[in-house]
Amino acid sequence: MTNTTTWARVKSPWVLHFNSGACNGCDIEIVALLTPKYDVERFGVKLEPSPRHADVLLVTGCVTQQCAERLKRIYDQMPQPKFVVAIGACACSGGVFDGNYNVVGGVDKVIPVTAYIPGCPPRPEAILDGVVKLLNALNPPKQKKQKQLEPPKETKPVVSEPEVIVPSQEAKPVIEETKTNVKQ
Amino acid sequence: MIDFTLIFRILVFPGFTFILLLTLFCDWVERKIEARIQNRVGPLVAGPAGILQPLADLIKLLTKEDIEPRDAKKTVFKIAPILAFAFMVFALCFVPIDGASVLSTTGFNGDLIVILTFSTIASFLLFLSGWASCNPYGTISSARVLTQFLGYDIPLFLFALTPAFIAGTLSIFKIASIQTIPFIILAPWAFVLFIITMQAELEKDPFDVPDAESELVGGLETEFTGAKLAFLHLTRDVQIVFGSALVVELFLGGPYGPVFFGLPAFWYTLWFVLKLLAVVVLTEYITTLFARLRIDQVLSANWKIVLPASILSLMLTVALVTWVYPLVVL
Ligand code: SF4
Repeated sequence: MTNTTTWARVKSPWVLHFNSGACNGCDIEIVALLTPKYDVERFGVKLEPSPRHADVLLVTGCVTQQCAERLKRIYDQMPQPKFVVAIGACACSGGVFDGNYNVVGGVDKVIPVTAYIPGCPPRPEAILDGVVKLLNALNPPKQKKQKQLEPPKETKPVVSEPEVIVPSQEAKPVIEETKTNVKQ
Repeated sequence: MIDFTLIFRILVFPGFTFILLLTLFCDWVERKIEARIQNRVGPLVAGPAGILQPLADLIKLLTKEDIEPRDAKKTVFKIAPILAFAFMVFALCFVPIDGASVLSTTGFNGDLIVILTFSTIASFLLFLSGWASCNPYGTISSARVLTQFLGYDIPLFLFALTPAFIAGTLSIFKIASIQTIPFIILAPWAFVLFIITMQAELEKDPFDVPDAESELVGGLETEFTGAKLAFLHLTRDVQIVFGSALVVELFLGGPYGPVFFGLPAFWYTLWFVLKLLAVVVLTEYITTLFARLRIDQVLSANWKIVLPASILSLMLTVALVTWVYPLVVL
């Protein structure tokens, strides 16, 4: 029973996109995921309009003072189990906007983050890779590795290098699949 | 004495389980077609060619947390989605699938009206569920559902009467079995208009104003989570199967076709599913190719074009049935 549930959760991640103060670079990359070239529906990913339907919250951009409260509220509106993916250098740490008078900082200052995808902006492949890796980390045999989910606190995300700090070992085929797709 | 055959028919084949699997399969076919028309591949990793994708969505939704908004009208909010689903499946039980309908082998005179009424009740329950969620988007969407399905129900009934007039009966079983020449040939105009009206009735493009994402977020489903959302989605999908099944029964000769060897029930089910898929593919083409109309355009099309057309179609049918068809075919 739990196996079936996990399988269903891994195969059907519905995402909600929230812009908490991004420059629109990351947002465009997320929208690129839906285009025929990347087509995330292959993995059962659907872009949902309402937080009530979503499993994964994709947050882009540093959290501004105004957005912090709203981001928290949207997170609270999502049903369990829910995951948060911080997309872009800004969402991971505040990026170039960190320390600004109106900026709270990275997404993890406001809500718990499950996966970080750095890059300015990260390539669509990197985003897709992050989401799929995050969900594959749910699989029971791999559960021991979930401890490694949280990246070391002090890591400064490498800007412009799409590298995913998430449960790494699994999901190799997915990476290959994505890459072959891009070459076409 | 318990009738095990009847229990099997209701629960497994061609009853609940079969209808559920058929619904999920049709959902997959739709998503694939939509993806192919948009130059994508569609669901791919869940099962072979992504065929298990609708099942994965369903299981995931069923196991998610169920949130009830504080302001929602709790009772209606809880029971409306599942009741709508139940009504749609019950309506499908009257449709002959393997040569006979699920509940009784031949149905009764007037069951065409009964199942159309069931589908109306299901649409009304969908309206209620959106209304009870007390979300502004849900409420607007519900109001649109009500305006749209009340308007399009009348022409749908009238178009469904065209085959009934030609067959001279209101029993869906008799209408299906009398068609040596499918009614799509005898009344092609009614077929085309029926498909268009059904498209509006099922709230698919170009008539999907009730769940226009760009205006209404999630439509009437906005506040729904978990199992309730799963049942709302299922209701939508069963409605599509129901509408297509209605087209098959009324215009394409129902489940009846050549029987080559073995059980007739097998061949009838096969013909039924094939014809159903043809209709689903056709409607999905329409859905994908057309852009959404505005709500005022939908309504004026309803009252100014479709309703007069349905009355004209009925008059034409009566005239043909009285004076022309007896000479040519029947
Ligand atoms: S990470 Fe770069 S692209 Fe993304 S929001 Fe920040 S500045 Fe813009």
